[in-house]
Amino acid sequence: MTTVTFTHISKTYPKADAPVLDDFSLEVKSGELVSLLGPSGIGKSTLLKLIAGIEKPDAGEILFNGESILPIAPNQREAVFMFQKAYLFPFLSVGENIAFGLKVKGFSSKERQKKVVEMLDLIGLPGIENRRPNELSGGEQQRVALARSLVIRPKVLLLDEPFNSLDRPVRLNLQEAVRNIQRELGITTILVTHDLDEAMAMSDRMALMMGGKIAAIDKPNLLFQRPPCVETAKFVGVELFIEGVASSGTLVSAEWGEIKIEDKTKKGRAVYAIRPEHIRIQKEKSENALAGLVKNYIYRGTQAEMKIAVGEKILRAHIPAKNDFFSIGEPVQVVLPQEYLFVVT
Amino acid sequence: MKKFLIWIVLLAPLLTLGLFAFSKGWFYPEPFPVKWTPETFSRLLTDSRTLKAILDSLSLAFIVSLLSLIIGYPAARTIGTQDFPAKKYVWLAIFLPTVVPPLAIGMGLSILALQTGLAGTRFGIILAHIVPTLPYTVFTLAGVFARYDENYEYQALALGASPTRIFFTVTLRLLAPGLAVAGLFAFIISWSQYLLTLLVGGGRVLTLPVLLFSAVSGGNPTTISALSLLFLAPPVLIIAATARFLGENPNDIHERI
Repeated sequence: MTTVTFTHISKTYPKADAPVLDDFSLEVKSGELVSLLGPSGIGKSTLLKLIAGIEKPDAGEILFNGESILPIAPNQREAVFMFQKAYLFPFLSVGENIAFGLKVKGFSSKERQKKVVEMLDLIGLPGIENRRPNELSGGEQQRVALARSLVIRPKVLLLDEPFNSLDRPVRLNLQEAVRNIQRELGITTILVTHDLDEAMAMSDRMALMMGGKIAAIDKPNLLFQRPPCVETAKFVGVELFIEGVASSGTLVSAEWGEIKIEDKTKKGRAVYAIRPEHIRIQKEKSENALAGLVKNYIYRGTQAEMKIAVGEKILRAHIPAKNDFFSIGEPVQVVLPQEYLFVVT
Repeated sequence: MKKFLIWIVLLAPLLTLGLFAFSKGWFYPEPFPVKWTPETFSRLLTDSRTLKAILDSLSLAFIVSLLSLIIGYPAARTIGTQDFPAKKYVWLAIFLPTVVPPLAIGMGLSILALQTGLAGTRFGIILAHIVPTLPYTVFTLAGVFARYDENYEYQALALGASPTRIFFTVTLRLLAPGLAVAGLFAFIISWSQYLLTLLVGGGRVLTLPVLLFSAVSGGNPTTISALSLLFLAPPVLIIAATARFLGENPNDIHERI
């Protein structure tokens, strides 16, 4: 049971111009899984290295349950890693790999054996302790790596894009397994990923990182539906932003005309946004409808992706695929339902 | 056919050595030895001077390769895993002994050894041998480190292992094949070192090459051949054993994903 707190962490690599982490603060509650989401090279992995003691911060503190871990030697911090590769020791058997940390801590051979068997059951691969790592598939290797990390009952689990190199079915399967095991053991976990789906599927809270700090942090569904600023909105897939002047329930935009909004008290300049799957496409005119022409229609099974030209502008909508088929060049009405319009900064 | 020719070119000198070493009274115009005998070998192998020379050479080469590995390891690791501005010059400095003519180095070392009192001592010879062996160990190990993934060590660190423990239980085992090859280079270079041994040893430490050279100037083909074969044996045996060991344990630092 460990709460991990970062306070005002800054880190600039030698020779780099800009800091990778700039006054970064975050609290991960005990047993919680928080994912750090963002494009590559944004300091996500650096943060994990700071916890593990591979790198040192220039400024700031990292606390486990309120106590600084910076003076503690890296091998005493009890923060374990799971990387993109399993890094199982090739010269040891699966069982010996899992027992590595136990041996370091001085567990007897009998206890080690018992715990190895327990862990193999937990990861769903019983009876493979005598196999060599190179006899296992990538997904199996990652499971063994997880077992090796968790068998020592660490305080914190650090996941650094651990599912990246796996095929989609294996990846989804492993994401579920890791999440279930993490929940079952109640271990505080930080997941670093650039995969939005993965972050949403696994996290209790999801943090979007930009410019060395957290741009937004919230529950996955809230961050996905109501991203607070333009950049985060773009990251979670929002493409349509409407800039205009709001007054008494109407947003007047130079590009899109007059659009009704729910918030009657909103006044002055504002940017509103809407998710592509909340845009409705229909034949009839209605409130907040813009006339357009179908430019493209791609059928994806569960949904259809459409490109519609409204005046000079092209906008994108994802509509439920059970709707009528639209042919290219067909005139349609694009509806922006006011209950789905939200303000971004 | 090409292969056959290559084998002939490679093996002909060895065969000649073998014929000479095991023959007695083989003179022109006989096409093959008249009399076969292992006498020369048994004489050499019971001769205390030769035995001592073999032992000295072996122990020197062994210590030199061990020291080369120990000294070369940090340098190779830094060069192989890190980037720094002066890297080019460090390479150059390390490689200098292979470019500068050996005699120049030898004379310099000889004078230095005389001044420091290391001339004629085994320690002096060991230091002198490290000069030509080090570039090769560093070069080989730097190549190994360029492909080495430090995350194995970070994993072990996160699992609670101390740096010393990681070095012995993880790093050394991952690097074993590369270390063996690098050590082998050093061994062979030291084993076949004549000039530096003579210049620094001043003829007081007789290694097998020194003995072989004096035998060559003595001019007895039987003795020369037998000594040459003795000189060839350890490197060939070690290379064969290592090749086999490396073949059986392919170094899969890069594991399958």
